[in-house]
Amino acid sequence: MTTVPPAPARTAAPGTTAATGPRAVDWRGVVAATGPADRAAAEAGVRLAYRAAGLPEPGRVLWAASPRAAVALLLGGEVTGRSVREQVRTRPWESERARVHAESGPGGYAALWAATGARLWEPARALADRIRAGIVEELGDTPDVRLRLLDAVLGQHDAAWLAALAGRGGALDGLAAVARHAGWWWPYEDIAVICERPAELHRDEAGRLDRGDGPALAFPDGFALHAWRGMPVPAEFLAGLGDLTPEGIRAEENAELRRVMLEFYGYDRYLAESGAEPLHRDGTGVLWRIPLDGDEDVVMVEVVNSTAEPDGTFRTYWLRVPPATRTAREGVAWTFGLAADAYAPLHET
Amino acid sequence: MYRQGDILIVPVADAEVPARLAEEAGEPRDGRGRLVLALGEVTGHAHAVPGPGRLVREGGEFGPQLLHLPQGGRVVHEEHAVIPLPKGWFRVVRQREYVPGAVRVVAD
Repeated sequence: MTTVPPAPARTAAPGTTAATGPRAVDWRGVVAATGPADRAAAEAGVRLAYRAAGLPEPGRVLWAASPRAAVALLLGGEVTGRSVREQVRTRPWESERARVHAESGPGGYAALWAATGARLWEPARALADRIRAGIVEELGDTPDVRLRLLDAVLGQHDAAWLAALAGRGGALDGLAAVARHAGWWWPYEDIAVICERPAELHRDEAGRLDRGDGPALAFPDGFALHAWRGMPVPAEFLAGLGDLTPEGIRAEENAELRRVMLEFYGYDRYLAESGAEPLHRDGTGVLWRIPLDGDEDVVMVEVVNSTAEPDGTFRTYWLRVPPATRTAREGVAWTFGLAADAYAPLHET
Repeated sequence: MYRQGDILIVPVADAEVPARLAEEAGEPRDGRGRLVLALGEVTGHAHAVPGPGRLVREGGEFGPQLLHLPQGGRVVHEEHAVIPLPKGWFRVVRQREYVPGAVRVVAD
């Protein structure tokens, strides 16, 4: 669990700089950027995007503290005119993509995508999907809400294709500027609505929303998403995790929440307090089982990291494996998609 | 086979490697000139090969990725000791975890 720094100012991360040259933007940092928008720069980007599309600039630019607040504002009867998302975002993107594709050929375009957008696609898509789901949950799953969500330009969460295409011909400069300086935005004939970025974003190393003691994603107006290793959980549920007991865990009827409770409480602590005996032990680790009423058993391998921590200790970690697993080696082998007798590392660190 | 944290590197016989993969350009290197086998989203820590070689992606959530080291090489990571590798082809397998009804990737 790590807090992402508020500004995208850190050195470009691996995978984002290879093909973008001196004007390189840390698009991986843009996806995860938090903190107040640079409103002047974002508004300039919006106006540039309208002009690049051959449209008059919007009469007014409104700010919203979160994407939820933006949708609520749009549903509140604001006179917007028609959506110009197609002209401002989709057409320039398609024509720039076609131009770069024609210049570089299919193989060259694939290589460009691999060097730039490919690894950003999934983290950005996952965040955007969760934000949409959170808005629908809070404002209602109605056609009006869905339609307003379709009008959104995802800005920082469009980073994958911006990383591939922006900064080449200038056609996407406005879109790129908004993505770097604010959150989602909504372009209409008469007005544009721009959102603040999240105030907080907590993810695990796999890029999933992850926080046990508060919202994993939170906007300045309180719109927030709670998740544990990517699994959405209710806010009240997290608040109760501090007082967990083995009995409380066993009494939880929702199997997914019970899994989160066990992980949060700690498999080792739960096993120690319930007096469990290992099922099996060998050179790869230790196999444990937690029987649960009305659910399949939790079977885990306990594995010791082969590289020492800075303090000289060796970190132990736990991986859940299929309930039919019989030996520790079979369990560890399964985590790498292998049969027990096929798993034989010559060298481990 | 070789293991570095949540990555397993399994030798593959040259004859088993599809001919089309031997011709593919492979993955681009990162800003530090390395082949990145797996990247931590938050820390930016990576299982990476700094020297000569090629990484070919075969798609799918867990890969496989195929690594070709014509002269051998080594795999580095910010939190793990270096793994030296002989020359040849390797399948790179990301560790996974069982979740009832699903499977999720491990990230250490």
